[in-house]
Amino acid sequence: MGERVIYLDYAAATPLDERVIAAMEPYIHGQYYNPSALYTPARQVREAYEIARHKLAMAIGGKPQEITITAGATESINLAIQGIVTRPDDEIVSCLTEHAAVVETAKQHAVRWAQVDERGYVKPSAVAAVITPATQLVSIGLINNELGTVQPIKEIAAVVAAKRQQRLEVGNETPLYLHTDASQAVGLLDISVSRLGVDMMTLNSGKCYGPKQVGLLWVRSGIALESILFGGGQENGLRPGSENVAGTIGFAEALSIAHAERKDESQRLHRLRGYLERELSKRLPDVVVNGHPKRHAPHILHISIPDCDGERLVYALDGLGVLAATGSACAANKGVRSHVLEAIGMDAALADSSLRLSLGRLTTDEEIMEATERIIQAAAQEKGK
Amino acid sequence: MNVYVGMSGGVDSSVTAALLVEQGYQVTGVYMKNWTQDLPGMKCPWADDLADAKRVAVQLGIPLKVYDFQSEYKQRVVDYMIAEYRTGRTPNPDIMCNQEVKFKLFLETALADGAEMIATGHYAVVQKGSSGDARLFRAKDVLKDQTYFLYRVTSDALAKTLFPLGMYKKTEVRSMASERGLATARKKDSQGICFVGSVGIKEFLGQYVTAAAGSIVDMQTKTVLGRHEGAIFYTIGQRHGLNLGGGLPYYVVGKDMVKNEVYVSRNLNHETMWRTTVRLRDTHWINGVPERSSLVARLRHRGSLLSCRYKDDILYLDNPERATVAGQSAVIYASSECLGGGIIAD
Repeated sequence: MGERVIYLDYAAATPLDERVIAAMEPYIHGQYYNPSALYTPARQVREAYEIARHKLAMAIGGKPQEITITAGATESINLAIQGIVTRPDDEIVSCLTEHAAVVETAKQHAVRWAQVDERGYVKPSAVAAVITPATQLVSIGLINNELGTVQPIKEIAAVVAAKRQQRLEVGNETPLYLHTDASQAVGLLDISVSRLGVDMMTLNSGKCYGPKQVGLLWVRSGIALESILFGGGQENGLRPGSENVAGTIGFAEALSIAHAERKDESQRLHRLRGYLERELSKRLPDVVVNGHPKRHAPHILHISIPDCDGERLVYALDGLGVLAATGSACAANKGVRSHVLEAIGMDAALADSSLRLSLGRLTTDEEIMEATERIIQAAAQEKGK
Repeated sequence: MNVYVGMSGGVDSSVTAALLVEQGYQVTGVYMKNWTQDLPGMKCPWADDLADAKRVAVQLGIPLKVYDFQSEYKQRVVDYMIAEYRTGRTPNPDIMCNQEVKFKLFLETALADGAEMIATGHYAVVQKGSSGDARLFRAKDVLKDQTYFLYRVTSDALAKTLFPLGMYKKTEVRSMASERGLATARKKDSQGICFVGSVGIKEFLGQYVTAAAGSIVDMQTKTVLGRHEGAIFYTIGQRHGLNLGGGLPYYVVGKDMVKNEVYVSRNLNHETMWRTTVRLRDTHWINGVPERSSLVARLRHRGSLLSCRYKDDILYLDNPERATVAGQSAVIYASSECLGGGIIAD
């Protein structure tokens, strides 16, 4: 070994971009003032904070006042769901392949699960099939963080719009909203809120080269959320607590960069992922590529290598200088099978032999070629163990 | 030779597996999933331990199997422990675990699976005697020696067991782990009863036994000094957790499970505290009842070796010993050989 370590777990965490660090720096070292304070330096901090909110809004095509800064995607998701469905018997529609933050929050309410196919894909008709006149919220992520499958959010938005129209016609006044967690899609797919047609969107700074523990929830104007935290009234009362100024400024910078570089970067990663998929399929003939063959994220490759244990493959790759994941980072640490792979009915042996490789901004052509060799080596070492 | 190594995810069993691989054995790692309990506010570390065992198995290029012994472990170790506490005794679940799980269930399962021998990371030494019997000896590392926990293992089981760490010191084992870059090289040694995890024994037992508060009574003056949370939780010799205020410490010198009273004394020389004869029950001898007259015994793990004689379930100590604990084991040695022992009856 002693060779360069190749990081292929961008879906779990992304490194801080240098430009992000530079943007945050003044607010880490000097500008510590509470933006709610009245003196001049604090007002300058407030101004920088609001500019950051503005930049965040610009990058997704929303309005600044529609952005609530949170401490990451899990919090945004909790606010989106619990802010709409407030009573235990309030009804929500989602699917079992969603991130645990969605699945576990949804389970606190009357939840109806839309059917997911074996590729992790949710057909719009499957969502339509489970929406009842009492459904208040649909929550489906744009990219499945484990399989990389891209969900048809625009089409699901059309389903939701049609249901709303029907309700209008029959005089059903129950509101119906669509929330999407687009954290995995930043800098890769179009996350314009109006083009997606969603009502709420979650983003996570830690997945797009910004600081961790910062996120946002965009909520279309006119939708009133109930607060789930109580305190000093910051973020219009939806997210009380002194503002994370440096984090938010870093997030805004990260999101702006991702937005500006999206087209080229998305193509580049798509090409690299394609190379990895082709080479591994060619040289490991029994390898199974999971997820949707066409509607997949540019940066996630989820494969099964039969007769290998996914967790052992990760350790073997660690030894060979490739950092990868089995399934999702969360599930892998609990020693239980991934809830996502279970939900799509994947064969247990295939699920246990799965590996998630996710590419990102620092991934190079050379790295992918070298990683291919190391993955093949690890598979050879681990076969049958 | 096919050897199945019990791998717990700790440093000792990791080095055990590494040494056997280097010595040319055909090694298979086995993680035994024993019974654990999730309590609020504590996370059982088994998932992390299994991951560590797997990590090391990958480094060594050996398979790792998982044997699920949860129900057997619960019945044979946990239920035993709870039952013993209920009677007022202080059992030793590690001894039970070795007797019933590691050197019975694991051995049998491994042999049925194709193993010719098993190995564990215990600090102890097995040698073949002149008659071919397997004999158990104390480890080179006197502080780590674990024969106290192994005295109930049978000679037949020992004959099929390798203890590669018996001739090493713990510090040597740690450095062997570092030299080999094993993922567990710097992992902390586990503490306490494995299935109880980081909660105390009191919290653990509290769920299974109905303990009523009672009096703490001075053995000499018969005056009530305070209240306890249940006599079951107290062990002879204990001096912490009595909450009797300052001054000289009080020691638990006895308890009455029927009256639910705990007796304490400040007088370490109180007659009830010292004894020269210790009655044993459920004795187990690895290769037959000891016949030598000069023996040494250990009444607790790492306790001093006490000169003694043994005859008909009675241990005759040359010098009086303080605070023997019913339910704990007396393990008997002839110089460095562990002959067996028994459970302290009262």
